[in-house]
Amino acid sequence: MSFQLDSQAMDAGDGAPQVNIREGNSTNIDFILRNTDLALANSLRRVILAEVPTIAIDLVEVEENTTVLADEFICHRLGLIPLNSKGVDDLFYSRDCDCENYCDACSVVLTLHARCTGIDVMTVYARDLVVSGNPLNDSLGQPVITDPAGQGSIICKLKKGHELKMKCVAKKGIAKEHAKWAPTAAVGFEYDPNNALRHLDYWYEVDPEKEWPVSENADLEDKPVDGEPFNYDAVPSRFYFNIESAGGLEPDVIMQQGIKVLQRKLADVHQELVERTTDGADGFGGAREPEVMDGYNQEPGYTTPWQGNQSQWGNQGSMSAYGGGAQTPHGATPYGHAY
Amino acid sequence: MNYPLGADPRDRNIIRYGRSGAGTNTSANYPERYELFILGDGEKKVTWVLDTRVPNTAIFTFNKEDHTLGNLLASRLHKYPHVQFSAYKVPHPLFATFDLRVTTDGSMTPKAAVAKACADLVTDLGKLSQEFTKEWELKRLANSGRE
Ligand SMILES: [Zn+2]
Repeated sequence: MSFQLDSQAMDAGDGAPQVNIREGNSTNIDFILRNTDLALANSLRRVILAEVPTIAIDLVEVEENTTVLADEFICHRLGLIPLNSKGVDDLFYSRDCDCENYCDACSVVLTLHARCTGIDVMTVYARDLVVSGNPLNDSLGQPVITDPAGQGSIICKLKKGHELKMKCVAKKGIAKEHAKWAPTAAVGFEYDPNNALRHLDYWYEVDPEKEWPVSENADLEDKPVDGEPFNYDAVPSRFYFNIESAGGLEPDVIMQQGIKVLQRKLADVHQELVERTTDGADGFGGAREPEVMDGYNQEPGYTTPWQGNQSQWGNQGSMSAYGGGAQTPHGATPYGHAY
Repeated sequence: MNYPLGADPRDRNIIRYGRSGAGTNTSANYPERYELFILGDGEKKVTWVLDTRVPNTAIFTFNKEDHTLGNLLASRLHKYPHVQFSAYKVPHPLFATFDLRVTTDGSMTPKAAVAKACADLVTDLGKLSQEFTKEWELKRLANSGRE
């Protein structure tokens, strides 16, 4: 491994984030992020864990199941099988699609058919899932198979006379809705391995130094000197990431998609703030901000009619201009419907 | 092909399993999971009120968002000299919303400060994306050179 600290010289740059990739392959990436703050690094971590879309089996039609496992049990297992999510960005969320239930624009259909006729126990693997229909690309929806035998995850086992026949519909989703859509198996995240900033207060029996051994990342940081006065202004500056893909997306794609999801979130908020005038339109009738102009305020008298489809998820249904007049934002419950 | 259950004679024994789709969860007394991130009908991503007791102060309520955005914005606002106070809270863990309170020195509205934070972060993330692409390409070259 040829990682060197020569990159420290680049720190003096224009304050743009710095990335140092220590290890990278098709399933894993290990890098150091610098020149950002803890908040951004942590938001990136959170968004990669929970909000980068992938596809997973979400609807199963069971035609035949004479195995020893219950339908729901097998369906649950099917949902958890990692599927190739290449190009999932071009797939619609089913909820936003014009189709009635599911179609090639918002799903990938996989079929599974296995019958055991011999006396030996038969094992059904992820490789037995066959993509049907016309998916957006050749990879999308293929079960992830990385073992040397090329079998993939085990779905169930059959004895003589048992049969399993299912139609599985894989849809786009995010891990915030269900963990089966998680793009990663894990995201490693560390900063300040020496705990110089005292963000941690270790519990210990006798000796915290022995009971909480530092990680190897500590070698890359300045060792705190005993008796040194505490620096109250110090902030973490190096973040050690390790993105481990579940197999559906390459780790660099997961990172880039994470950045994109975060950007879209911020852009949506920015748009709402900039486009909306404060008087009346948002239901707070009359409350006015201090009349100070800056680049972000609208010209006086300029109002933007509400466009219903501003959110990243595209609200279906058209909103009337100014969202139905007198209703305050508090008229809606957190579940979206007024009682 | 998509038949209603039982309509197609070939499919008469099909049983469907799936998590409930939009609007089908009528009897359950728990919220749909997608309500963590999909805005409800007529719900806005962000609304705000001015604090009547403290000048140049607004409280923004973000809907269908969490710490990911809350901490990001609150921390970024700390860096602006015109922002005197910024903090966020999630009032209740079961409701996907957070409140962001911002006080400025009056030379900029709280709304403008939050908008600037969003714009700056989008720019920073864009730079990060470029930097990451560059480093990843270099790594790939190094990896292929080793083989
Ligand atoms: Zn569709």
